[in-house]
Amino acid sequence: MTGTEIALIGAALAVGLAGIGSAIGVGIVGQSAAGLVTEDPDKFGQTLLLQALPGTQGIYGLLAGFIIMQTVGVIGDELLVLTIPQGYAFLMASLPIAIVGLVSGIYQGRVSAAAVGLIAKRPEELGKGIVYAVMVETYAVLALLATIMLLFGIPV
Amino acid sequence: MPIIEMKKVFLLGHREERESIFSLLHKLGSVELLDIKSGEAWEEFEALVEPEHTGETASQAESSLSDIRYCLDIFQRYFPVRKNFIQQFTGAKLELTEQDYRKLVGRLEEVKAVYDSCYKAEEKIARIRNEETQSQNLIEELQPWASLSLPLEQLTDGSFATMGLYTAVADSLVDLQVALSEKVPAHYFEEVLSDNEFVYFFYAGLTEDAQVTRDIFKDNTVTTVTFPGLKGTATQNIELLYDKIGTLREERESVLKEIETLLEHRPMLMACYDYMANELQKNEAVANLARTENSFLLEGWVPVPVLNDLEKSVAEKTETAVLAARDPEPGENVPVLLHNSGPVGAYEVVTKLYSTPRKGELDPTPFMAPFFFVFFGICLSDAGYGIILSLLALYVSRKLKLEGMGKQLIYLLFLGGISSVFFGILFGGYFGDLIKLPPIWFNPLDDPMRMLFYCFGIGLFHIYFGMGVQAFRNIKAGHPLSALYDQGFWFIFLNGLILLALPDYSAVARWMAIGGGVGLVLTQGRNQNGIIMKFLSGLLSLYNITGYLSDVLSYSRLLALGLASIVIATAINAMSEMVAGSIIGVGIMVLVLMGGHLFNIVISTLGSYVHTSRLQYIEFFSKFFEGGGKAFQPFKAQTSYIDITETEKG
Repeated sequence: MTGTEIALIGAALAVGLAGIGSAIGVGIVGQSAAGLVTEDPDKFGQTLLLQALPGTQGIYGLLAGFIIMQTVGVIGDELLVLTIPQGYAFLMASLPIAIVGLVSGIYQGRVSAAAVGLIAKRPEELGKGIVYAVMVETYAVLALLATIMLLFGIPV
Repeated sequence: MPIIEMKKVFLLGHREERESIFSLLHKLGSVELLDIKSGEAWEEFEALVEPEHTGETASQAESSLSDIRYCLDIFQRYFPVRKNFIQQFTGAKLELTEQDYRKLVGRLEEVKAVYDSCYKAEEKIARIRNEETQSQNLIEELQPWASLSLPLEQLTDGSFATMGLYTAVADSLVDLQVALSEKVPAHYFEEVLSDNEFVYFFYAGLTEDAQVTRDIFKDNTVTTVTFPGLKGTATQNIELLYDKIGTLREERESVLKEIETLLEHRPMLMACYDYMANELQKNEAVANLARTENSFLLEGWVPVPVLNDLEKSVAEKTETAVLAARDPEPGENVPVLLHNSGPVGAYEVVTKLYSTPRKGELDPTPFMAPFFFVFFGICLSDAGYGIILSLLALYVSRKLKLEGMGKQLIYLLFLGGISSVFFGILFGGYFGDLIKLPPIWFNPLDDPMRMLFYCFGIGLFHIYFGMGVQAFRNIKAGHPLSALYDQGFWFIFLNGLILLALPDYSAVARWMAIGGGVGLVLTQGRNQNGIIMKFLSGLLSLYNITGYLSDVLSYSRLLALGLASIVIATAINAMSEMVAGSIIGVGIMVLVLMGGHLFNIVISTLGSYVHTSRLQYIEFFSKFFEGGGKAFQPFKAQTSYIDITETEKG
């Protein structure tokens, strides 16, 4: 295995794990949202907003994966041949968003699902529900930042 | 003044004018009424107060409200009015002119008749639904016997022979047949149908063997199937039932048509609902009055700017009413009304989503607004996206009549778009790298570390600003020493620590850090008892440095979100380039570009809004703002279904 392939494993992990986290999170919110909308179809818009919140981890993962793919040259003209240490550097750099994206996506989904319950009774408090969910997302943002800094810091 | 001053008003009037005064107040919508029983005058008045029976009219109004609600719900169920996506956030109301509204409310008498028709229709539909389910169930029961050619009414127990239909669990069929052939010599067994679980069979035997047969059936869990009252074969019955369901459906259609003809009353019902709800509200307000045989007294809060108008109209429109106003006394729970003019007003929505300020507290909106503007722009940081966001906001505000928080939110997004254009030009972002213009300043993608330090810098300034506001509050409240201890020392201490990183200033920095730290240790425990406790909690307060550290690090999200929107945009551009090449490819490319960038605008705007809000709530407000005030809720017309527009003339 060359370093390039190891780097691509990193890209796959970032996109895959963070995507799983978001998928689970969005799924959890969707279930409670559907429950609320059976009672009150007019809350569709508000619940959709809450459901979108845990979706960002997947986007962050895709973003990290995309940077790796672009640096390595999968997207573009020529594939770079990386040394094995370089490859491992990319793999390590992808881990923060992969791991934190997976876990925070699920927990943000739970908080957002609780916020669906909140707006069932008090639709005017949507803002507070969103803030609670965003508290969780902070750590995904920080992990993304770490991943990006690492990726940009690797000499190719 | 961002927070409007309130005065407490007392209005004393003659009972005859009560209705007209309430209608006047209801129309003006500038007074928040207080429940007199919790007010100060209550003790003095309690003995004088006349009990009054508003209960009867109130319960009448309530029952008529629930009638209207019932009709509207039925209409909504069978002929729903769909709200579009934006209306789900803002609500959709029927627009009526004052004249039309009066006309519709004038038909209040008709409500009863409409209700009766609706009720009857609903009953019919319920009965139809019931019968339909019954028929469906019966069809399902009959289905297994469809191949049986025997009329069902012939399945009887006679004096010589018995016949019947039975089901058995498929697994026990063999046992059953063995038992029957052993113990009952004369019988007829015909399997009509069998599936994975059950066997459906026809059985005939001699009446004298009935008891033995029953026992065998019982041991092998065989159940008897009967269709009382049915004549003809199972297939004939199934056909009849399908016919019946057909008729029932037709009947249902005709009932739905009946409801449809009632639909023309919908606007009338909506108008009457809002009218009755407001009448009820007035009634409830009357119930909260202190009154004697001939007079009444009401108590409430009025914002100072509209007090003059109120006094004038009360003087003009009434003969007996006397209005007195006074400043709030300490300890009174004064409601809070925010008023920020111009663009700052848009940011009130951010404050309100957090909490209404307490009375006497500073409104944080003007302090927060410029930071919100800047942070939002840094998060989105794309000139193209900014232009589209602003145009969308403009379009929505033109298209929809928005009020209150919805209007402020759209205005806030409009301003956010402008800010984003500004930062997009600075950082060279035009739909990612679609339009390649060099940045005026630098591209964060090329030098993220530099951008990160700017983010920390701007965050530090934000936090210091919050501390400054709190210091100002302390000084204004007459505690200049608190300002020095709680904000001043922290300011010196933090700056000392930061300067330590720069070798040129290390001597000054060391003494600043030590001085500030010592100051904090000596003062932060000042509310504790005993010298040791004072010292310990002073020492422990230095631990808060982690709080400041994490606050500052939190601003790194500005960089992260900025990079996220740029990189996603770049990814969309790269994907669209991959498909370009032929004419069809160019077509797909345009679709990918449009769809992708629209998606990114939505997701990045959401991210920018929520994360910018969070920086205000957690990092900024925590330094000086407490909140927890009571928002001003004037006594005024509230509508759920209709919106009365200004009449063009008269």
